[in-house]
Amino acid sequence: MNVKEVVEEGEQVDHEKFLEELKEKNQEFNFMREIEDGENNSGELNDIPFVAKDAICTQNTTTSAGSKILENYTPVFDATVVERLKEAGASFYGKTHQDEFGFGTFSTNCAFETPKNPHDPERAVGGSSGGAGAVVAAMDQPLISIGESTGGSITNPAAYNGVVGITPTYGRVSRYGLVDYANSLDKIGVLAKTVYGAAKGLEVIAGEDENDQTTSSREVEEYSDLEEKDDLTIGVPKQYAELEGIEEGVKENFEESLEKFRSMGHEVEYLDMPLLSADYAVPAYYVLAMSEASTNLAKMSGMRYGLEKDPEDFDDFNEYFSQVRSEGFGEEAKRRILVGTYTRQAGYRDQYYIKAAEVRQKIIDQFKEAFNQVDVLVSPSMPNIAPKIEEAEEMSPTEIYAMDTLTVGPNLAGMPMISVPNGKSEGMPTGLHIIGDHFEEKKILDTAYTYSQGDSK
Amino acid sequence: MSDSETDVMIGLETHVQLDTKTKLFCGCPNEEAEEPNTHVCETCLGHPGSKPRLNKKVLKQAVKTSQALQCDINEDVFFSRKTYFYPDMSKSYQITQYEIPVGEDGEIEVKVGDERKDIGITRLHIEEDPAKMKHVGGDIGDSNYTRVDYNRAGTPLLEIVTEPDFESPKEARAYLQQLAQMLEYLKIYFPESDYSIKSDANISIDGGQRVEVKNITGTAGIEKALSYEISRQKQLKKRGREVEQQTRNYNANQEITEMMREKETEKDYGYIFDPDLTRQELDQEFREKTWEEIPELPHEKFDRFKQEYGLKDKLVESLVTEPELADDFEKLSRDHESDLVASFLTGDLKKVLNYNDKTYSESEVERGWLGYLIGLLEEDKISDRNAEKVLREIVEEPQNPENIVEEQDLLKAEDDEISEFVEEAIEENPDAVEDYNSGDEEAVNFLVGQVMSISQGKADPKTARERILEELE
Repeated sequence: MNVKEVVEEGEQVDHEKFLEELKEKNQEFNFMREIEDGENNSGELNDIPFVAKDAICTQNTTTSAGSKILENYTPVFDATVVERLKEAGASFYGKTHQDEFGFGTFSTNCAFETPKNPHDPERAVGGSSGGAGAVVAAMDQPLISIGESTGGSITNPAAYNGVVGITPTYGRVSRYGLVDYANSLDKIGVLAKTVYGAAKGLEVIAGEDENDQTTSSREVEEYSDLEEKDDLTIGVPKQYAELEGIEEGVKENFEESLEKFRSMGHEVEYLDMPLLSADYAVPAYYVLAMSEASTNLAKMSGMRYGLEKDPEDFDDFNEYFSQVRSEGFGEEAKRRILVGTYTRQAGYRDQYYIKAAEVRQKIIDQFKEAFNQVDVLVSPSMPNIAPKIEEAEEMSPTEIYAMDTLTVGPNLAGMPMISVPNGKSEGMPTGLHIIGDHFEEKKILDTAYTYSQGDSK
Repeated sequence: MSDSETDVMIGLETHVQLDTKTKLFCGCPNEEAEEPNTHVCETCLGHPGSKPRLNKKVLKQAVKTSQALQCDINEDVFFSRKTYFYPDMSKSYQITQYEIPVGEDGEIEVKVGDERKDIGITRLHIEEDPAKMKHVGGDIGDSNYTRVDYNRAGTPLLEIVTEPDFESPKEARAYLQQLAQMLEYLKIYFPESDYSIKSDANISIDGGQRVEVKNITGTAGIEKALSYEISRQKQLKKRGREVEQQTRNYNANQEITEMMREKETEKDYGYIFDPDLTRQELDQEFREKTWEEIPELPHEKFDRFKQEYGLKDKLVESLVTEPELADDFEKLSRDHESDLVASFLTGDLKKVLNYNDKTYSESEVERGWLGYLIGLLEEDKISDRNAEKVLREIVEEPQNPENIVEEQDLLKAEDDEISEFVEEAIEENPDAVEDYNSGDEEAVNFLVGQVMSISQGKADPKTARERILEELE
């Protein structure tokens, strides 16, 4: 059974069986932060189960964004995406593990548990929407998994877990109720087993929302009405194809994907996109993301929600705030608060924060130019297969940041992108990344659908 | 030492609370509530995941005010996050405008006594008010604990920053009064409401260090706070001590300024653009529309009234203090002598209003009622004293003055009635008549007084005197 059969052909997911499988698989792989008994809902989505990344607010269900400082935090409202899914007849089954506030690449930076990869429990699930990817890979029964990407956090776990993951254009899906990482970069998207599942989920959650002024008023297309495409011009950024450090197996699978497109009659073209090199996009991304993150996390001070202490034990509010924040935030969160505070301080602001914003604009321009020539851009989703959890934990912050090179460019530019499985290497899945111009979700979904319809090797 | 010997430089940053229905970034009611923390939601409490959405009315009011202050309006405006930790800040950052405010480079002409002075407006921007803190069992320094009420969090504010153009506390006060008056004309601020105007002032003397004084409420407060601070700085100088750069708080109860913090390197708020709020375009169409909505402003009205009605400065100044009063002056002047209307409104009426502590619009006195009284005065049918008596009654309890005049029989007496009063006075006071006849002219005054008392004020004293003289000759 898959999402399409439930939504379009009227098949029903058995709630008890689903819950049983979810609990069983979670025992094994630890991808759920909270499990809820999905209530029966009727509507377009015909009771299809869904789960949400921990950072997405759910009324009455703990929302911690992977952080100890919000360990027992229960929001008073549902995020817009959760509300829309429920209204469309999807059934809520709980929250998935993630890196603390999205600060990570492997979900090994979570205050609670480290999820394990269903393809090999010694390996990481990717991040930061790691639990969101693993749950789709592990479950036999269909579901829609809501993730969030700031710099690549949907593409990455989709590739490592061998599932489909779509990150929409910035402003396509409401962020209302998303515990912010970096508001100008955050995008809520969908992970599912099939392109159809991702398309259908996006179709329901996308669209203008008065509670998020950055959402677009453009009409939402029928994404799930997937079409096979002819005569696509597919661009490959040289800076991505030639990136140092791409594993051999990943490279081979990518080459085969290109060959498959060619064999289907599409044209493949290499493009020079110098700003996508690790030297520009990665630092610009991290400066902006950390500057914004350091202000977002300021509100967590133990006064109104989250971790708290007895005020009697402190001389003044500064001491109190400091203690709560010292205890509540993990090491990476503290690092990003410090760096992000530095990059926006007077004297450094122009040279970091303002400059990064200018680089972002140039990167957008470069993408726009590329889309004048090609329909979509493609690259490997990640430079590697999912690393062993132990290896991931030993990586230095800069090594980890470099893993994002293939994904931060389109994320910084707010372009829509989708990762689809394109084979295996050392028994682990790899992904093909398809990037489109702003608001061309339909085109990248159709391209992904076209790709997965072609004869696999 | 007088002010002229000391070179004083003052600049003001004034926060005007706006009287909008809802808060700046959420749908909560923008008003005081009986219970603390009841007009709150996830957005004004800064819950994780909540986002601000701009109340567009505020943008309109900000543009209007900027235009009235002759500012340049920026076409694209942004909001920024000003980050600092303080318990009254729900998000630990305040949403304000930094790089690009709504208005910049304006000017306002302020009348100080008989002189006029241009004050430069540096900028006007929008920001949100933080929560209210209540220090229990003392003030901020010695209370046991502090309660925070977020009902106020998110109230829209306009911040208006001036150049350091003021040279005396008097000028600063005149500016605030005239600014408040202008805002009242723009229907942005109402003096009788709970919404406040608060200022922070930067003061330096003789080119010395700048001292910032915070939390000065209202217009009377500004003169007191600045006078205190200037004399404090002068005293220091007199004793050969330096004026240190510092931030002080104005304690309105004691009318003094108190040290808050020593010179710190300029506070660094690490401003970034608020990415949750989109760029706001203030295009020509938008600006033209707000421009059309700006009424004649007090200084314009002042100049026109002077020219059109040829009135004295003092009278015009008093007339334009309230837009409704100025409007009714013009309307009443169509049917009545404008000099009389002006002196009646600014003299008798203002006196009674002040006594009752009411503004004209609060008093609910109708224009027609005033027209009736002015008409009686014009035709000499009522004495000034009785007109004022009626005025007092209709201000205290709004009602048609015709009833009062009739019930209490307050019109001036008719001629034959006066003759009767005069005869009676002469008959009853033969002594006074005798005194007059023996050359004591003062005795007439006594008789006039008697006529007035017999007529219970209805007789016109001038007519009474004439009749008495006629009778005595």
